[in-house]
Amino acid sequence: MSAAKARGGLSTPALIGVFLGAAVMVAPLVWTLMLSFKSNAELMRDAGTAFSAPYTFENYRSILQGNMVFRWLINSAIVSVGTTIGVLALCSLAGYGFARLDFPFRRSLFVFVLLGLAIPEQAVILPQHQLFAQLGLHNSYPGLILPGLAGPFGVFFMTQYFRAIPRELDEAAMLDGASRFGTFWRVLLPLTLPAQATLGVFTFLASWNSYWWPLISATRSDMFTLTVGLASSQMNYAQTSGLGFLMAQAVFASIPILIVYVIFQKQIVRAMAGAAVR
Amino acid sequence: MRALAILLLALLAFGCGRGDDRTEIFIQRFFGECGAVYGQSIDVAAAESECGILTTLINRFEAENPDIRVGINVVAWPGYPQLSAQIAAGDPPDLVTMHQSVISDYQGRGLLEPMDGLLREAGIGPETFTAAGRRGVTKSGRTYGMPWDTIGRLFHINTRLMAEAGLMRDGRPVLPRSPEELLDHARRFRQATGKPYLIQAHVNAPDTHVGILYTYLLAQAAVIFPDARHVRLNTPEARRIVELFRRIQAEGLTTRNQDFPAATAAFINGDGGIFPTGTWMIGPYDAEAATPGQPLYRSYAVLPFPHLWGRDAAFVDGHAWVMPRRERTPEQRRALARFLRFLASHNYDWTRTGHLPAFQAVLATPQFRSLPHRSDIAAMAATGAQLPDYVQRQSAIQGLIGEELEAAVTGIKPVERALVDAERRVNELLAQML
Repeated sequence: MSAAKARGGLSTPALIGVFLGAAVMVAPLVWTLMLSFKSNAELMRDAGTAFSAPYTFENYRSILQGNMVFRWLINSAIVSVGTTIGVLALCSLAGYGFARLDFPFRRSLFVFVLLGLAIPEQAVILPQHQLFAQLGLHNSYPGLILPGLAGPFGVFFMTQYFRAIPRELDEAAMLDGASRFGTFWRVLLPLTLPAQATLGVFTFLASWNSYWWPLISATRSDMFTLTVGLASSQMNYAQTSGLGFLMAQAVFASIPILIVYVIFQKQIVRAMAGAAVR
Repeated sequence: MRALAILLLALLAFGCGRGDDRTEIFIQRFFGECGAVYGQSIDVAAAESECGILTTLINRFEAENPDIRVGINVVAWPGYPQLSAQIAAGDPPDLVTMHQSVISDYQGRGLLEPMDGLLREAGIGPETFTAAGRRGVTKSGRTYGMPWDTIGRLFHINTRLMAEAGLMRDGRPVLPRSPEELLDHARRFRQATGKPYLIQAHVNAPDTHVGILYTYLLAQAAVIFPDARHVRLNTPEARRIVELFRRIQAEGLTTRNQDFPAATAAFINGDGGIFPTGTWMIGPYDAEAATPGQPLYRSYAVLPFPHLWGRDAAFVDGHAWVMPRRERTPEQRRALARFLRFLASHNYDWTRTGHLPAFQAVLATPQFRSLPHRSDIAAMAATGAQLPDYVQRQSAIQGLIGEELEAAVTGIKPVERALVDAERRVNELLAQML
C-alpha cells in the first residue's frame, strides 16, 4: 500500500492543510476546556494562564452542587427526545405524502411549506407566545416541544429522500396486497432510516441548544432547560469575574451532545458526505 | 399485616390532610443562582456576593415568617424578556428586581402597580429613601418601586502608580479639577510611570462612554432629553466632553483596543492608573488589594468622578423591587408588605456588595461608613441622578450613543459627526415608540 493510500489518498500538502484546518477548528474547544479548569480569580488577572497549572475542579463542583441542574438536564432530555420523535414522525408522513400521493394543490402546498424556511423564528414569536398563553401551555413540556415540531426543513428533506426511492417498490408491495399505510410502514420507511438518523441528530442538536423559545416560555425555574438554567445561574459580568465557571458551563452543556455525536458519528458523517455529493 | 395496612392508611390520611395553608408570594430576581452554597443558609452576615446575600436574606425571611411561603424564580440576566413574556401571558410574579432605568419602559405602559400604598403599609415612606433612590423609583409623581441600591461609575485608582507620578497627597489620590488639569495629570503620569493614566474599555462597552458623557452633561446642567421623543447631543457641552476623551486617546494617555474583561485584567495587573468603572467592581478589586504579591496589594482607592465642569454630578442607576400589575389577595399584599419591610431593614447587608444603600438611615450608620471606601463614595447617593422619568428605552439608547462615542473617541469619526449621528439615531428610535 502506498503512503498516499495509507493517508486516504491525500498528498502531503493536502494532509498538512487538513491538519491545520482541524487545529483551527479544535483550538477554541481546547481553549474552553482548559479555561474551565482554572479558578475565576486567576482568570480575572490573566486568561493566558489557561495552559499552566494549577488546575481545579471547583467550577464543575459548583455546577453539580446547583439545586436544579439535574432537573434542567432531565427537562432538556425530555424536550429534545420528544421534539426529535415528533419531527421524525411528522416529517416522514408529510414527506411520504408530498413524494407519493396525488392530492389537490400538492405543489402549491409544498411551496407554502418551503416558505417556512425563509421565516425567522423571531418574526412569529409574539403571536406564537400569545397562542401558547391562551392554550395555557407555557411552563409545560408540550409548550416546549410543540413549536419545534413545525419543521419545513425536515419535510423538504424527507420528501426528497422518498422521491429518490423507486416507485417500483411501492407497486410491488401493492401487488402483494399491502395497503397504502402498510407500504409506507413496512417497505419505504425502513429504507429511509439513514435520512431519519440524519434528521434525528440535527433535530436533537437544535433542540438541545435552543435558547430563545425556552427562555420566554419556561419562566419557572423547575421548567428551565439546561441552556436557560445555566444562563440563569450566571451573575452579571460573568465573562469578567466568573470566566472559569462560564467555560465549565459550556463544557458541561455540551457533554450530552458529544455523547450523541459519538453514538451517531457514522450517520452524521454519512449524511454530511451524502449532502455534499448531491 | 392488618396493622401495617391501618398504619399506612393513617399515614396517608395524615399526609393528605396536611395542606400548605401558608400565603404564597412569588419573587423573580436576577443576580445568579447559588443554592449550592447558600441554599440553606440564614446567616446573612456570613454571606458574600450579590447572589449569596440575597439568597440568604430570603431564606432568613422565610425562617422568621413561617406563615409565608416565598416562591423564587432566578432568571438569566437581566430577565426582562422573561418578565415581558410573563406579563403577556398574564402570569407575572408578585415582586421583581428591575433596574431603575428600565422602570419607565414598563410603567409607561401601565404594567406596573404604584407601590405608595403598599410601602406605607410596610412603614416605608419615600422620605426614607436616598435622593438618588427616590428619583430612581418615582415616575409621574408616584412610587413604582422600592429602591434597593444605587450603582454608578467611579474612578478606581492604583495608588502606588499615582504616588510614583506625584499624584498623592496625605495618602489620598489627587484628582483633577478641570479638563486642562486632567490632561496635565495624565501626561505627568505617563512620563513618570511609562503607563497610561486611564484604563478604558473601548470595545463592546458602549455604556462606558455613555456613563462619562451623561455624568458630565449633568454636571454642566445640560438638558439631554428635552421631551420623551428627543435627545439633544450635538451641543457645545457634549462636544467639549467627547473632544477631551478623544484627545486623551490621541495622546496615548489611555489604554486602547480593550474590552471590559481585558480592561479589568489591566487594572488588576497595574497596567494603568485609573479605571472608570462601576461600584460593582469594588469587591473584586478590594480582594486583590488585600492579597500580598498582587500588583494592587495595598494600592487601591476609589473615588467619585472628578469635578471637571459645573457642579458635582454622577449619572447613576440602581436596582429596585417592583410589582407587576396582577390580581392579588389581601393576604398576599400583607405578605408582600412584610417582605419589603424585612428587605428595607436589611439594606445594609446588601451594601456589602459594593452598591450604595437606598435608605438614608443606612448611609449615616458607622457600620456602613466603616466598610472599605464607602465613606469616599457615599456622596454619590445624594449627587447621583438618572435621566428624566419620561425617557424610555434607555438601554437601547445607551447602545446607540455608545457606538457613536466609541467611533468618536477612537478617531473613526469626527466628534461632531458622531454626535449628529447619535442624535439622529436616538431620535429615530424614539419616534418609532408606540
